[in-house]
Amino acid sequence: MRMSSLILRTAVRFILPLTFLYAAYAALKGHNGPGGGFIAGLIASVGFCTYRMSYGDRAFHRLLPLHPRWLVFVGLGLAGAVATLPLVFGQPLLRSASTTLYLGGSEVHLVSAMAFDLGVLLVVVGVAVGMISRLGEELDR
Amino acid sequence: MVTAAPYLVLAAVGAPVLAGLATMLLPASRRLTRLALATAGPATSVLLMAIHLGRNGVSTADTPTGTIAWVPSLNLDISFLVDGLGAFFALLIAGMGVVVVLYARAYFGHDAASLARFFPTLGFFSSAMLGVVLADHLLLTVLFWEMTSVSSFLLIGWDRDDADAGKRAMQAFFTTGLGGFALLGGVLLFGGHTGIWRWSHLMAEAATISHDGTVVAAFVLMFVGAATKSAQWPLHDWLPGAMKAPTPVSAYLHSATMVKAGVFLLGRMLPAFGALALWLPLLVSIGAVTMLLGAVLALNQGDLKKIFAYTTVSHLGLLVAMYGMGGASTTGGLGAISWDLTQIASHALYKAPLFLVVGALAHLVGARRLPHLFGLWHRPGAGAKAAAVVLLLSGYALAGGPGTVSFVAKELFFAATTRASDLHPVLAVVGVMAIAAAACNVAIFVRLTTTVLGHRSGVGEAADAPVVPAGQPDRWAFMLWAPAAALIALQYLGGLVPSLWNRTFRGVEVNVHDEAFATGIPLAWEPFLHPGMPLLMTAIAITAGVVLGFSGWMRRDMVDVHSRIWPASYRGIRRGGHRIFHSIQTGHVRHYLAVVFSVLTLCIGWAAWADPAMLRPPAGMDPFEYPAGLLLGAVVCAAAIALPMVTERVVRVLVLGASGFAVVGLYLVYQAPDLALTQLMFEIISVILFLLVLRLLPRADRRPRIRVLPRLALASVVGISIGWMTLLAGHAADNRADDAPTLGKFFEAHSLEGSELTDGRGGEGRNVVNVILVDFRGFDTLGEITVLATAALGVWSMLPGRRRHREEEDLAVDTGQGVQT
Repeated sequence: MRMSSLILRTAVRFILPLTFLYAAYAALKGHNGPGGGFIAGLIASVGFCTYRMSYGDRAFHRLLPLHPRWLVFVGLGLAGAVATLPLVFGQPLLRSASTTLYLGGSEVHLVSAMAFDLGVLLVVVGVAVGMISRLGEELDR
Repeated sequence: MVTAAPYLVLAAVGAPVLAGLATMLLPASRRLTRLALATAGPATSVLLMAIHLGRNGVSTADTPTGTIAWVPSLNLDISFLVDGLGAFFALLIAGMGVVVVLYARAYFGHDAASLARFFPTLGFFSSAMLGVVLADHLLLTVLFWEMTSVSSFLLIGWDRDDADAGKRAMQAFFTTGLGGFALLGGVLLFGGHTGIWRWSHLMAEAATISHDGTVVAAFVLMFVGAATKSAQWPLHDWLPGAMKAPTPVSAYLHSATMVKAGVFLLGRMLPAFGALALWLPLLVSIGAVTMLLGAVLALNQGDLKKIFAYTTVSHLGLLVAMYGMGGASTTGGLGAISWDLTQIASHALYKAPLFLVVGALAHLVGARRLPHLFGLWHRPGAGAKAAAVVLLLSGYALAGGPGTVSFVAKELFFAATTRASDLHPVLAVVGVMAIAAAACNVAIFVRLTTTVLGHRSGVGEAADAPVVPAGQPDRWAFMLWAPAAALIALQYLGGLVPSLWNRTFRGVEVNVHDEAFATGIPLAWEPFLHPGMPLLMTAIAITAGVVLGFSGWMRRDMVDVHSRIWPASYRGIRRGGHRIFHSIQTGHVRHYLAVVFSVLTLCIGWAAWADPAMLRPPAGMDPFEYPAGLLLGAVVCAAAIALPMVTERVVRVLVLGASGFAVVGLYLVYQAPDLALTQLMFEIISVILFLLVLRLLPRADRRPRIRVLPRLALASVVGISIGWMTLLAGHAADNRADDAPTLGKFFEAHSLEGSELTDGRGGEGRNVVNVILVDFRGFDTLGEITVLATAALGVWSMLPGRRRHREEEDLAVDTGQGVQT
């Protein structure tokens, strides 16, 4: 599955970093503005998919050198850990903790739910990219 | 209340299974250590029970033994009631457990693997059984009850190579499992109706329980549970079938303990339900029929194990009838039930030795059928002679001969029927049936005696080879008959020295109503000094039994007509299940979808029929607020209608995508940027996925065409009704008169800051959607990503990676076979 159009390849070269940047923004901003781990994961997946469509399987493997299942495992593990960690401290499941960091005068409000969100992001990326690349491989054969 | 008491009882309940499991940790060669450990389990139970009784005495309904919290939110806890009934049964079970473990060592002696497997399973059973008789909470009783069914299944189907044993195990499991369900239903019905969840509570409140329909229904269900477990007619067939089990199992489960669980349950239920009008007729009729049927069938068997199985059925019927007549004591004020625990103990003390000695004979002589045992006494070998002695002594007790506890027990039952028939003349029939059953038992003893002492020596001619090879005497062989001898000795000890028996049982007997034996069971000759109706009945029974025993009647192997019930119902269930399965599971997605959507529409239609207000458009709705929204909605609808019209798959995907992108537009119009963004990304990815999958699918040209119109109609109905429901749901919150908290308002209010509703904790985020996802409904999200991951794993395992494909291809080339995909 490859669409070797020069226009697409050139466009993707510029679009891809922007996509990832936007995904990161959506993920970080998610708790207070439009966005969130799920959306960010989907955005990043779309980026990966368009790259794979325009540059092909080999180039895609250079971009994402590990099997997508590792993203799923790590993501699920992270989310599960964040969810169960409060139990260790005698808190109910998924109770979120928050802290405020002061970095050079600017305040950064950190919520443990964001780590959970990161887990969601990784799972979504892993699943979407994994499925599409796997089915794509099947077509390439 | 002593707080340690429940833990002590819990330890007594758990000891057998723990000891049994611990034997598995030992190496197989340490047989003696294993045996010692396995014996220690039930022995510890006996010891702990003795300590408990010594410290706390026998509890009564007003002072239950205490509880350990388990699931407080379900009102479920581990509570025990060590009253007379429970303590007696617990000691019986644990004591018999010790005997059976020792016997099993000799029985399985040549087969170390079976022995290793036996101890944990038997321990599991012992613990379950102890739990049944000691539990105070009704649900705890049911739980242990089920565990006895499961362990019994494992023990009956012990011989894994024997298909028939497996079938018999299944029959027993189904029958008693059915009873278990009935018991659970009865307990839930009763508990839910009256709020009583404890036996102690039940007994204390017995007088105040109303006799309305629900209570009667609960009682009938509980009785079904008790009757199946205690093998009452017409579901008794599993018990003779269970004789496929090894002899230690038959002796323990199917004569002394498990089948008595039903009788025990009736003893527990007697104080509360005995006054029900249904109690006496139901129990007495079922019990009496079982008693006579079992006795007649027992006489008509050739196989010793079958004989004793049917006499067990008969005696269980007797016990049920006895408790049935006990109901008359609460209504009529007349003592009809007497010394119930003595009855039960007496049965255990002759039936278990009978079974044990049957197993011994199978080992020592290799024969179990009466004709093959002819002249057993004249056979050389100490083991066989000892077994013959025990067999005859136990048979004498089975017949209820004077000098045994069994004799007194039989007298007591006859006295009970006499008294009951004074109260209800119809119950005289039970007396006649009891005489007939007793005559059958006497006849069995006569036949046993004539067979064993027969003078034509021919043992083993027609028999199989002994299981124990003659040349290698096992030093544990004496254990084949020694436990049986010890048990039967207790029968005679109790019969000849009743003061000992009385001292033991006086403290725990719960239902002592009989004036004749008010001071305890009498000396052996005492009944003869006070002749009366019971003695006359005994005389008739013995005379008839002796005549019957020497006669040639009833000597063929009779097949119980009830043995057809199980195979027929099993076949029926399997066929019916097969048919239902294949009519529901067609294997076509379109059928499943049609069914699901039809049911959904019907449900909604039913709801609308029940509440016509649902058909009115919600107030305060302004459909023309956003013209762009209407336009996009029209696009979605058009795409949906066009979808079944087009035939090309790729075009369909694109049409579906168009509908999805129009939905994105809708979200934007109605100001939901999060949803719009998600939907947009999701549409992109799903269109790509669809196209990929469709290109991989084979061409669809041979598929039967499904007509468009019905599908379109169903789809429109479903779409319109679901859409309407969504509309109603969205406006339901707006139309609430009060400012009752709705979920939407709650989430909005608590997204950033908490309130007293959430213990002052908020989601600490301004994006409500995301806070819902990761905080309020975080558990859902965790579940969803797990599902996603599982789906991806499914794709990766169904479509294994490239590398593996290559390997398979190489392999196929090597072996010269094509890969079938």
